[in-house]
Amino acid sequence: MKFLEAVRLALSSLWSNRLRSFLTVIGNVVAVLSVVVVVSVIQGLDRFVAKEIKTTGADVFCFTKIGFVMDYEEFMRQLKRPDLRLDQAEQIAPLLRQSEVVVPRLDRELSVRYASRSARSVRIAGVGAGYDRVADLPLAAGRHLGELEIEGREAVAVVGDGIREKLFLNEDPLGRSIRLGRQRYRVIGVIEKRGGTMDESRDDQIFVPISALRRQAGGRGSIDIYVKAAAGASLEEAQEEASLQLKIARGLDPWDEPDFALVTDEQAYQLYESASRGIYGLLVGVVSLSLLIGGIVIMNIMLVAVTERTREIGIRKAIGARRQDIVAQFLVEAVVLAFFGGLLGVGLGVVGALLVAKLTPLPASVQLWSVLVGLLLASSVGLFFGIYPAHRASRLAPIEALRAEG
Amino acid sequence: MTPQSDSPLLLMEEISKVYRVGQEEVYALRSVSLAIGRNEYVAIMGPSGSGKSTMMNLIGCLDTPSSGRYLLAGRAVQELDEDELAAIRNREIGFVFQTFNLLPRSTAAGNVELPLIYRGLPAAERKRRVAGAIARVGLSDRATHRPNQLSGGQRQRVAIARALVTEPSLILADEPTGNLDTATGEEILRAFAEIHRGGNTVVLVTHEEDVARHAQRIIRLRDGRVESDSAV
Repeated sequence: MKFLEAVRLALSSLWSNRLRSFLTVIGNVVAVLSVVVVVSVIQGLDRFVAKEIKTTGADVFCFTKIGFVMDYEEFMRQLKRPDLRLDQAEQIAPLLRQSEVVVPRLDRELSVRYASRSARSVRIAGVGAGYDRVADLPLAAGRHLGELEIEGREAVAVVGDGIREKLFLNEDPLGRSIRLGRQRYRVIGVIEKRGGTMDESRDDQIFVPISALRRQAGGRGSIDIYVKAAAGASLEEAQEEASLQLKIARGLDPWDEPDFALVTDEQAYQLYESASRGIYGLLVGVVSLSLLIGGIVIMNIMLVAVTERTREIGIRKAIGARRQDIVAQFLVEAVVLAFFGGLLGVGLGVVGALLVAKLTPLPASVQLWSVLVGLLLASSVGLFFGIYPAHRASRLAPIEALRAEG
Repeated sequence: MTPQSDSPLLLMEEISKVYRVGQEEVYALRSVSLAIGRNEYVAIMGPSGSGKSTMMNLIGCLDTPSSGRYLLAGRAVQELDEDELAAIRNREIGFVFQTFNLLPRSTAAGNVELPLIYRGLPAAERKRRVAGAIARVGLSDRATHRPNQLSGGQRQRVAIARALVTEPSLILADEPTGNLDTATGEEILRAFAEIHRGGNTVVLVTHEEDVARHAQRIIRLRDGRVESDSAV
């Protein structure tokens, strides 16, 4: 009862100083806003990335020229490595006993046309036989590239659902001829829609025989080599064996450092996770700083309020307010102030998250826990930084306070 | 806590109050002794610098004496800590100030209710008592007005209602007519007379002879001592 009374009083005194109250809590607004938006974006990113990165099976690994490098010099060093070549993939394939599939892949970006419609910079994956076994590529229609088509450099293509949608609208693409760059390809399959939303999602890819793509676009550029460990084999042993054979194929000795990188989806995911942890770290920093600044501003304004209302404090003391009553009054006021800053932050944060979800491909959605954490943090700041002003107010001597102006 | 009815409500023995001003000690009150019984109507008078304000602060338990003994309703005030003083102000004393000292953002009823909130009474009980006190000063139709919507006389009556609502042993008024015109001042003084007739003890601090004459007894202070103490 007394608490509600204090809240009512606090609200009316904050309302009578609306602009000042608003300016006072900007720190809290920013802090809670950041919590709500960043958490919603990262949660969206998490879901997105988990779906997007984990496309291959857990038993698949990939050799590539440049691995996940975090610094520029290392990147430049790896850039000078000799390319991975198709013949190296072909050379190691029959030698691997721990693995069952070796698939070379060469990526190009080409514009794609069908009738009057076109799409620019589409990722064309030139792949070897078995590509549908190292990645999860369920068909919606038609069939996958056949071994003979791949060997025979035939101009056939399996398109992602995004490409189908863009170029064919409601038409059936099977058997139609599309142009990849200058070359015509016949569509023989469509991959099921996966719903990834980033630009390079599977839905926007086209798979063609690597041989055909090389003939059309040249053999230059490093390929990636996907390897699937044999059923029952240990992934580690399969990786070791394949690395060794690739070193030999590339003219290295077995004890040399490899001049290529071995990557897995798991690694990619870990890389992402460490990056998102970094963002969370940054969030903690931003939030702590805005809360600290916000808290100091709140403390300052509460000290001003105590000075302005010295007379009021005197009156309250004269008619029987104890120290704890005065402390409670000013603490409640500080917490209510801070809490409303938090609410404002939540409101703006929800708007922010909705905007992110609408304007970017990230499925950002507001997390209830981030709202609660934000409000809790904001209120705690009010409580903590309200202690000193409230204490000051409670210690005013009643006769001095009654003598004050106002 | 329950003194016999013949013991005085307020008893001061050898009360002194010393302030330090720089190196000097200034006596605001020098060894003052006095007693005020229940249902007395007393005016405390004196020119400025006589110790009148200090006396009022001590009687009102807003301040404690430097030496001497002060018994209010049987309790030794000089031994109380800050919160006990707050409690005694809340229960035993009803203040009426020259400048009214109402909270500007609260309504008349809100102002009157405040001491009851600090006493911790339940809402229904508070409501009942507030209505009674406001009716007693004739402001029932103004209960929801804020101080700035009321005239000076009405504000002072709200303050009187606030003083009465706790049913204190002592109504302590400090120049209650000082900010009012003569007619309104008279009206307020009639209100005090009525309160006194209703059985309350009233102590009125003033420097105006006309005002003091409304009391039954006048205590005159000069230079921190009691100069005279006589019935009107």
